Amino acid sequence: MENVRVEREDELTLVARKPLFGLPTACSTCLPVYIYLKFSKIPFTLEFKNNYPDSDRIPFVECGDYVAYNNVNGGVIKTLKEDKIVDLDSDISSTPEWVSMKAMVESWLKDAVLYELWVGSDGKVAQSIYYSDLPWPIGKVLHFKQVRAVKQLLAITSSNAEEREQEVYDRASMVYKALSSKLEEESFFFERPTSLDAVFLGHVLFTLHALPETSILKSKLLEHPNLVTNAEKLKAEYIDSNSPSADPSSSASNRGPSRWSSKPEYKPPKREKTEEEKQFRKRSTYFVACQFIAVLVFISIFGGLEDADVDDDGIYE
Amino acid sequence: MEDGRREIDKNLTLVARKPCFGLPTACPTCLPVYIYLSFSKIPFTLEFNSIHPDSDQIPYVEYGDYVAYNNEKGGVIKALKEDNTVDLDSNVCDVPEWISTKALVETWLGDAIKYELWVGCDGKPAHEIYYSDLPWPIRKILYYMKVRSVKQELGITSENADSREKEIYSRAAMAYGALSSRLGEESFFFENRPTSLDAAILGHVLFTLHALPETSVLRSTLLEHPNLVKYAEKLKSEYIDVPHSEPSPSSATKKGPSSWSSKPKRKPKREKTEEEKKFRRRSKYFLVTQVVAILVFVSVLAGSSDDADVELGDEDDGFSYE
Repeated sequence: MENVRVEREDELTLVARKPLFGLPTACSTCLPVYIYLKFSKIPFTLEFKNNYPDSDRIPFVECGDYVAYNNVNGGVIKTLKEDKIVDLDSDISSTPEWVSMKAMVESWLKDAVLYELWVGSDGKVAQSIYYSDLPWPIGKVLHFKQVRAVKQLLAITSSNAEEREQEVYDRASMVYKALSSKLEEESFFFERPTSLDAVFLGHVLFTLHALPETSILKSKLLEHPNLVTNAEKLKAEYIDSNSPSADPSSSASNRGPSRWSSKPEYKPPKREKTEEEKQFRKRSTYFVACQFIAVLVFISIFGGLEDADVDDDGIYE
Repeated sequence: MEDGRREIDKNLTLVARKPCFGLPTACPTCLPVYIYLSFSKIPFTLEFNSIHPDSDQIPYVEYGDYVAYNNEKGGVIKALKEDNTVDLDSNVCDVPEWISTKALVETWLGDAIKYELWVGCDGKPAHEIYYSDLPWPIRKILYYMKVRSVKQELGITSENADSREKEIYSRAAMAYGALSSRLGEESFFFENRPTSLDAAILGHVLFTLHALPETSVLRSTLLEHPNLVKYAEKLKSEYIDVPHSEPSPSSATKKGPSSWSSKPKRKPKREKTEEEKKFRRRSKYFLVTQVVAILVFVSVLAGSSDDADVELGDEDDGFSYE
């Protein structure tokens, strides 16, 4: 009984963006975290947050009072490892090959997805993942801002746009080729699942399922059937398998992965709510201030015109 | 005789930023290209361009009518390989470990250098390398603009600055650890011969050791791996510090690296045209802004003087009524 209580108290919750395209979470940043937790076989609940889809904090993992945010300390997976909550890489993280492959996947492939999602495609996929629950004008503005930010991140300017695009795709191709040679017919890159496999699997599943048929990145990936086959195999094994839910209300289960929760239920922790509230208050203050200033300017101009009329009357008298 | 002429025709020129800190070229983008050419043992001339130090085209390699710019085709080394001019990677470029190690150096270590040079340090090395020949106000503005763009590229904001710094340094540390383990006591990283990977690593290490100040966090992290330092110093004495004559157009020489040329000689027609175009564009904008400013001033002045005349006119009318 005591064990059960401890498990219930220690239960992890992953808050991510909503599911789409047949994936438990459609966001390319959330998916690797989900997969990492699946690999670890620790029971966790998946919840969704749709209120501030553009927030940098998502995904985050909660466990009692403990929270690991996406935008703190290098990301959720790194935080979970460093705090010894979930560490799949303990004896492999000093292997040179593992380190260099991790760098390759986390930079060149991440850049490629960023490019494809925000610059290379027509924006529909990004729209459906991040902005579909927001009113249209706000979604449009946020989308535009994000496109601009990604271009700055990838150092894309109007003069070098084509060059950079070519470079991004070429690098992605090199990575796929290298990983395909390295993996061959194995399931994992280094005997057992590590965060490298989680990040790469997340990338492959996102590229295959979320990106449109016209995507260049997708077509480059499809040139390596062993990568695709392996990804689908791991998906069936770790993601699609039916298992009893890990509901806090029912008895805690010792078994592996939790099932997807598709109710858009969200329970934001107090800390996050306060931050979001602050952001909202700041934005509304700016809005009100701008309106006020506009009204003042209008009145002063209008008042100025009226004064002119009064002056004219004065002269003639 | 024919061979001699062919060699003269094949004389490569590398145009880079000026030397500093005991390095043939102090710029972290130019240095790997210099080293790559040194490794290839192809004779080349080193020239310097100090007039447009912030230009993205530098470094570039000229070879007769052929030019390979830094900001085209993924960089000079990549262009030289693809055009089969100088290709040191022919047997290794399909090896997964080689590719991943190259990625590690270009991304995690590349970001670390960028960060340290433009954000982490006080800016002295950057000024020394890029802007020392420019007047002070321009230097300040260009530096500020570059710092801003580097922060955008590294995704650094005021909120996450500490977090990002920590991440960049920790990735650099992991990278150094991985490279140190992989190298061991070997002379090169793959197949016991130099490839563009060695050029990239050697360039990075030499820059970090010689150009960055002693207070640099990145530098002290690197010094924790003595085999990397030894590797770099050994290759430096073998390929870079070797004294040699400056090749002139008259005598072709088969020998290795060229000597430093410290005359700020320019420049191929193509680059001149690009720089001229940029200069013309900038002066056009300047003139247009001046004209607009003058027009605004004149119209405001005319407006106020007209009003004054009209008022005087009214008063005159007033007088006549009386």
